[in-house]
Amino acid sequence: MELTKKIIRKLLTAVKTTKPEEIGCDDCFEELQIFVELELSGNSMQDAKPLVQDHLERCKDCKEEYQVLLAALNSLYNSP
Amino acid sequence: MFNWFKRRRNEDTSYETNEDWVKALSAPVDEKAVGLLRKKLIRGLKPALYKYVDRELDQFVEDVAQDALIKILDNIHSFRGESKLTTWAMKIAVREGLTELRLKKYDDISIEDLKPDDDSREVFSLSVASSEPSPERSVHESQLMEKMMKIMNEELTEKQKKAIDALMIEGLPISVVAKQMDTNRNALYKLVHDARLKLKNRFELEGINPEHMLNDL
Repeated sequence: MELTKKIIRKLLTAVKTTKPEEIGCDDCFEELQIFVELELSGNSMQDAKPLVQDHLERCKDCKEEYQVLLAALNSLYNSP
Repeated sequence: MFNWFKRRRNEDTSYETNEDWVKALSAPVDEKAVGLLRKKLIRGLKPALYKYVDRELDQFVEDVAQDALIKILDNIHSFRGESKLTTWAMKIAVREGLTELRLKKYDDISIEDLKPDDDSREVFSLSVASSEPSPERSVHESQLMEKMMKIMNEELTEKQKKAIDALMIEGLPISVVAKQMDTNRNALYKLVHDARLKLKNRFELEGINPEHMLNDL
């Protein structure tokens, strides 16, 4: 791993925002259906599920799954 | 004709509550419910996944729905009723589909190839691109980079460096890296979280403020 300025910036930002109480991908997945229904009903997910929101901001794969799930449910529930 | 219409209506409205779904999807499984859930999964997945699939979307989505249904039926007892059953089922199908796509996309990439091409036994030993000051890099900046390199080499295990390299530097999907490192997503996330915490604690011990370092870079 060769450290460049860009990489160091990325690492420093990740370290700076690290919290002791983060949840992992499993806990996020366990709660994702609740989180996504809150979004679909227009409620604030940040207030209701701050740890899930926090994980989604850090984990690219979980965020992608959340976005695709949202799109799939919008098609399923909202299209005629 | 009227009877057919009536029968169709019943088919579409007979699983309105979570209780109806859970009963129908638990043994002995109601095949009509399975068929209806399959249709719903496909209806949601197709428009949501078309951007990710370059060909044979219909076949791909049908295969994903089928694989997801097996998992849904196997895990129906774990559904806690905190959402609509169809939301929970779609969550399982989406993860199934995206994991399949990620593994296929990065099939020919090995994280072992990310290591420097040298004879070093320390596969992921850290080095700076160049520690010498240059027109683009001030003396202060070079010192910061050296410092960061030293802390990472002292604090992180080889496994943590490897994971950070693959995930944060190369940007590979966590499911792909987990498979190659013979672990799972959750354990890998925890490994990197522990690494970030170690670095944060060491910074605090040494009185280093990452915010200041960022401003200085």
